[in-house]
Amino acid sequence: MGVQLLILAVLLLAAPAVVGGLFLKADKLGGHLVFRWVSGQFLLWAGFQLISVPLIIQEHSFSRLVQLFTGYVAAMALLAVAVEIQRLVKGRKPSPDRTRGQGSGDNPASGVLLWLVFWGVLLLQLVQAVRLSYADTDDAYYVAISSITQEADTMYRKLPYTGGSTLMDIRHGLAPFPIWISFLARMSGMPAITVAKVVLPVVLIAMTYGIFYLFGRVLFPEGGRQLPLFLVFAEVLVLFGNYSIYTAENFLIARSRQGKAALANIVIPFLVFLMLLLLKKLQEKQRIQVSFYLLLGAAAVTGCLCSTLGAFLVCLAVGIAGLLGALCYKRIRVLFPLCACCVPCAAYALIYLLLE
Amino acid sequence: MGIDMLALFRDYMGTGMIVIWYLIALLYLWMKEKRRYMRILFIYMPVVLLVLYFNPLFAQLVYKVTGDEVYYRILWLLPITVVIAYTCVCITGCIAQVKPPQGSLFHAWRGLPADLAALCMAGALAVSGSLIYSSPLFSKAENLYHVPDSVVHICDAINVPGREVMAAFPLDLVPYVRQYSAFVCMPYGREMTVDRWNYHDPLCDALEQDPVDLEVLVPLAREAACHYCILPADRKLTGDPQAFGWTWFAEIDGYVIYRDSAVELWNPETQSFQ
Repeated sequence: MGVQLLILAVLLLAAPAVVGGLFLKADKLGGHLVFRWVSGQFLLWAGFQLISVPLIIQEHSFSRLVQLFTGYVAAMALLAVAVEIQRLVKGRKPSPDRTRGQGSGDNPASGVLLWLVFWGVLLLQLVQAVRLSYADTDDAYYVAISSITQEADTMYRKLPYTGGSTLMDIRHGLAPFPIWISFLARMSGMPAITVAKVVLPVVLIAMTYGIFYLFGRVLFPEGGRQLPLFLVFAEVLVLFGNYSIYTAENFLIARSRQGKAALANIVIPFLVFLMLLLLKKLQEKQRIQVSFYLLLGAAAVTGCLCSTLGAFLVCLAVGIAGLLGALCYKRIRVLFPLCACCVPCAAYALIYLLLE
Repeated sequence: MGIDMLALFRDYMGTGMIVIWYLIALLYLWMKEKRRYMRILFIYMPVVLLVLYFNPLFAQLVYKVTGDEVYYRILWLLPITVVIAYTCVCITGCIAQVKPPQGSLFHAWRGLPADLAALCMAGALAVSGSLIYSSPLFSKAENLYHVPDSVVHICDAINVPGREVMAAFPLDLVPYVRQYSAFVCMPYGREMTVDRWNYHDPLCDALEQDPVDLEVLVPLAREAACHYCILPADRKLTGDPQAFGWTWFAEIDGYVIYRDSAVELWNPETQSFQ
């Protein structure tokens, strides 16, 4: 168990944090560990989607996917390390974020107290994710797909409910988030069901709050107690977000192992966060780096990995925010790279319409 | 058939209190927020989204491609949590900047009004929502697989290394079986548990009858090549299982497992029938 958890920690924490170094120039926050972790994971997810869908459609074995994706992760990690070394040799250090500081008139003790409250409530949520089980019958599809893939070495070729052979299920095959869970299970040796229902909720809930933290860093550049207070309010809204079973908050706590939960709580918030950065850059007339658009593209592709509807929601969000930004700041040219980021989503939507 | 966007919106809102807070937050930001990029993302974008959401033409277009079951997910694009949390912090900040009068209690504790306001707002949000862990669908996990122990024990008992087995389970266990073991196949699956899908399977119906009529159940299970049938231990049977070729295999966690000897089961590990 210890070794399995260690392997998962490398795959879910260390590797993304290393790979995220490739986005150092994307924003001033690029050097921050949370930004690196989240953006690195998005690059890995996007790679998984781009590698896995062709293999699924061509009915390759799962082992082939594991080989190729492992190679991709290793290549990205090596590239990130090489870029980091080059940066160190040239003596360039990431510019520190100088906007942080004590908010005016803040009581430092109350800030510490708020951080303690935040960490305490977050820990409670992570413990509950392991301790409590949520009876959702959708797991009979998604988690079964992960278990079957790990055991049978085929992808979307067996009926998850009963076990018989079937033709490719293109709707789900285009959003192979459960196959990524199988990958983690295969690499770690842990049963896919345990990865899906115990390990992944812990990581994905933490990542959701990581994205809230990044929001807080941009919304409250002066720092102080406002950032932990913002996070505590976010926790209250998540914990009491059971006002209907359809809310993103409900999906986060109850069904975090399902791709649609990752879409609602990680992909869409991160996409909105990136659009916030983009609009801020437009306002401040900053140059927008290519790596920023690459990260936006990775987020868009990850939306497709999580759910077939993700392609549509990502395009809708980028389209509306991008168009409003272009009009308000009279920067129509910004729409071209944004459209380019949405091209993979359009391609997956087209494949879905053609093959369905 | 079209989409009832309003009904979906109502379902999404639940009591509607959090959405009311969200609308109040939008109003506050519309009046107070000066940064244009924030206004675009937190005010204009949600308004455009809501206009699109309630547009019947847009809804028809989306419905044609995705179906009506997932239309509500467009509402996930509204940054409700971020906007409400941000507004609460802004209001707290405004209260903190108000200088309390000399000699008042608040003068000694300058941050107290802001802290009290934050606490009140957090309380109001909590009361307006519903605690996620209060859902009856949550229960203490019985194991590291988050499925009932009975599923784990039964699947382990009927498992034959190196091959799949076919087993008919009661409906309360059906959704969990293939999550735990890909080697246990079933003649019917989770689709039977969703009423609105309106699936029927004669074998499932026969197994769920109380009392179970073996004269009906056994031929159906045999036709589906079930090596095993699992029945609740307290379920009454009409007929003698042995007379129908069923042997008692085990009783585990309140379920009796019957092995149908008429359905051959080759064990690749021992190279023999079992």
